[in-house]
Amino acid sequence: MNDTMIDVEDFRREARAWIAANLEPRERVRAGRVVGEVTTHEQIDEARALQRKLFDGGYAGISYPAEYGGRGLTPAHEQAFREEAAGYVTPDFGVVGVVTMGAIGRSIAEHASPEFCRRHIPAILRGDEMWCQFYSEPEAGSDLAGIRTRATRDGDRWVISGSKIWSSGAYLADWAMCLARTDWDVPKHRGLTWFAIPCDAKGVTIRQIRQINGGAEFCEEFLDEVEVTEDDIIGEVNRGWAVTQTMLVYERGAGETATPTEPRALAPDLVALARRVGRIEDPAARQAIARAHINDYAQFHLGRRIADRLEHSHNPDHAVAAYSKLAAGVYTPLRARLGMEIGGPAALAWAIGDEAEGRPALDYLNGRRISIAAGTNEVQRNGIGERVLGLPREPSFDTNKAFNEVLRNARNWDGKVG
Amino acid sequence: MDSDATEDQRALLDVSVRFMEETCPPAVVRDAERRDAAFAAGYRSQAAELGWFSMLVPEALGGGSLSGNGVLDAALIAYLRGGRLQPGAFVGTNVVADAIARAGGARLQAEVLPALVAGEASAAWALAATAGAGSPAAGVDARTDGTGGLVLSGAKTAVLDVEPGGWLLVTASSPDGPVQAVVAADAPGVGIVALDSLDLSRRFSEVRLDGVVVAADAVLGDAGSTAALVDHQLAVAATLLAAECVGAMDAEFAMTLQYAKDRIAFGRPIGSFQAIKHVLADTSLAVEMSKAITLAAARTLGSQDDHGPAAASMAKALVGDSAIDLAQNCFQVFGGIGYTWEHDQHLYLRRVTSDAGLFGDAAWHREHLCQLSGI
Repeated sequence: MNDTMIDVEDFRREARAWIAANLEPRERVRAGRVVGEVTTHEQIDEARALQRKLFDGGYAGISYPAEYGGRGLTPAHEQAFREEAAGYVTPDFGVVGVVTMGAIGRSIAEHASPEFCRRHIPAILRGDEMWCQFYSEPEAGSDLAGIRTRATRDGDRWVISGSKIWSSGAYLADWAMCLARTDWDVPKHRGLTWFAIPCDAKGVTIRQIRQINGGAEFCEEFLDEVEVTEDDIIGEVNRGWAVTQTMLVYERGAGETATPTEPRALAPDLVALARRVGRIEDPAARQAIARAHINDYAQFHLGRRIADRLEHSHNPDHAVAAYSKLAAGVYTPLRARLGMEIGGPAALAWAIGDEAEGRPALDYLNGRRISIAAGTNEVQRNGIGERVLGLPREPSFDTNKAFNEVLRNARNWDGKVG
Repeated sequence: MDSDATEDQRALLDVSVRFMEETCPPAVVRDAERRDAAFAAGYRSQAAELGWFSMLVPEALGGGSLSGNGVLDAALIAYLRGGRLQPGAFVGTNVVADAIARAGGARLQAEVLPALVAGEASAAWALAATAGAGSPAAGVDARTDGTGGLVLSGAKTAVLDVEPGGWLLVTASSPDGPVQAVVAADAPGVGIVALDSLDLSRRFSEVRLDGVVVAADAVLGDAGSTAALVDHQLAVAATLLAAECVGAMDAEFAMTLQYAKDRIAFGRPIGSFQAIKHVLADTSLAVEMSKAITLAAARTLGSQDDHGPAAASMAKALVGDSAIDLAQNCFQVFGGIGYTWEHDQHLYLRRVTSDAGLFGDAAWHREHLCQLSGI
């Protein structure tokens, strides 16, 4: 922070005036939903135009460094803008936008070279570059450091081969941030490097995966001798794990902004559902509604408490962000179950094409996404147990062995320790 | 619990902790015999000097709070009390003082209220009945005596910390709806029957009222305002009791966490096993959510925000369920040692389970939330 930084409330007033003059009021605000379904390139282009407007007005990347096109202010300023803009149409890139402006943009700003940042961050904030993560693999999910995509140096080029999966919105993205193994003869965390790859580079194949909800937001990728250069490295060669940790902090924090305002009205969607199925007087349905709402309310205040703690601590412990992620991972599927309970048979079968009536079932199918994606509930529990509560780690079989050897040993697993 | 406490609040909290640790350390908590009437009176008057019973009473009536949000100040004290399993009519006296300040007539405000604030007497809210589905007015019937007074008959149970020379706030049902009166615990026709209880750190009584005559100037509010006042009292009681409960949860969790680090089995601390680690992580999430929701309720309720009663019911419901889960999980982590009388585990199990059930259990507050929300 510097002495000349604009006060949050002054900034809020300034933002309010700009928003009123430049953005369109939203016709109806969908309760509890900030990120919309964005599935087409046309929607992305629409969002780019609006993002450009924010960027030119000085309201893109409010808490990003000014030298890279941001405003150089604090998360509190960012939050003030979000609150002021809540009733207006703002750029919606869907999940690809959340990843780009959140985990990826922040990781780049913290770890990439100044040249790399100058090349990419202003383009991100303008909406010109959407990014995705080439991160998980078919054989590496929770054990992220166990990825097997290989990057080999060839003169001043790097050649990358392997396969990636669960990349949100990759088919809509312009660039990918890709984790690859650059040294197989050291323990798993020490041989990793991050690369920037253009999604249309030769050798990159991106396929949408059809999901249980009928959508196809997640993608899988095949990397077949994709060539990049030294300039495309984010962070340092073989030190990629440090970047990963930054990325995970921002990914886990992403849930916190899901509900920007305190939920006061009693679970409106579930109340409407109970009325529709004639169960608003039914004590079991009323208990379910109250349960869901109380959890929503508690999650909101947990998120706010953790954000305050991180903001006001001199030595913030980012491990506490796992609480928000775990709460979302536990209570989102529970809420979906409560919806199914309230809905009864009407939640099991409904008029063809009626999205409102099909909503409880859709929420039910989607409920466990947050308990699996971006760090499973179990990974969060380990993080809380070890990094917040200070419990001892499980014995590990792979942290001190060369990764090559780890794979060989695992294939011949005999259950013996050491 | 509240890391942004002001300097004034911090000073009050520090001196309150010293008072509790000197006056009622664990050995006294464990020994009911040592907590006789003389102990209760001494504890109460020292607590009153710290301002424990003035926070919900306006300055004009001899009270005052440090931060301007008396509910928040009281909740911070309650949290510290819970962690140390403190006895005494803290919640009851504050709820009744608040009710008298809001709706009491001249005599109650001139005679009873100053005694409560000064710690000369305590008060208990006689609310629960054995039957009646948790309705606050159940168990005691009131008929009017023609001069604005009431005649009360019936019984209330699980009344918390009725102390000698203390006052009772009785919520009763009348043909015109709920009514409330402030009655001396030793008034003619009032019988106080000590009960055995799950919680060993507090005392519970049955209050029997046999044609107790209450003068008009001891009746709180009128037919039009009583229901709202009862809702307010419930919100205050729920918030303060939730705060005490969170204090006890926090202390019990800390004790359990340490045990999981110290206890060795199969060649390693048991806290290194995911089966234990994950239970503790979930339990710690429950503690964090309980703290967050209780502070939100105290801040909201104490700032004349209309959402206060809803927030209080949400806190009471979430904390109640979380506390019982926590107590069960901690017990399981301790294993056999937790089943011994000497170990403190059971004191917390008993206390938080009682906290969860008093002044409306989780299911009651969920239904209340629906009603407050207009469905």
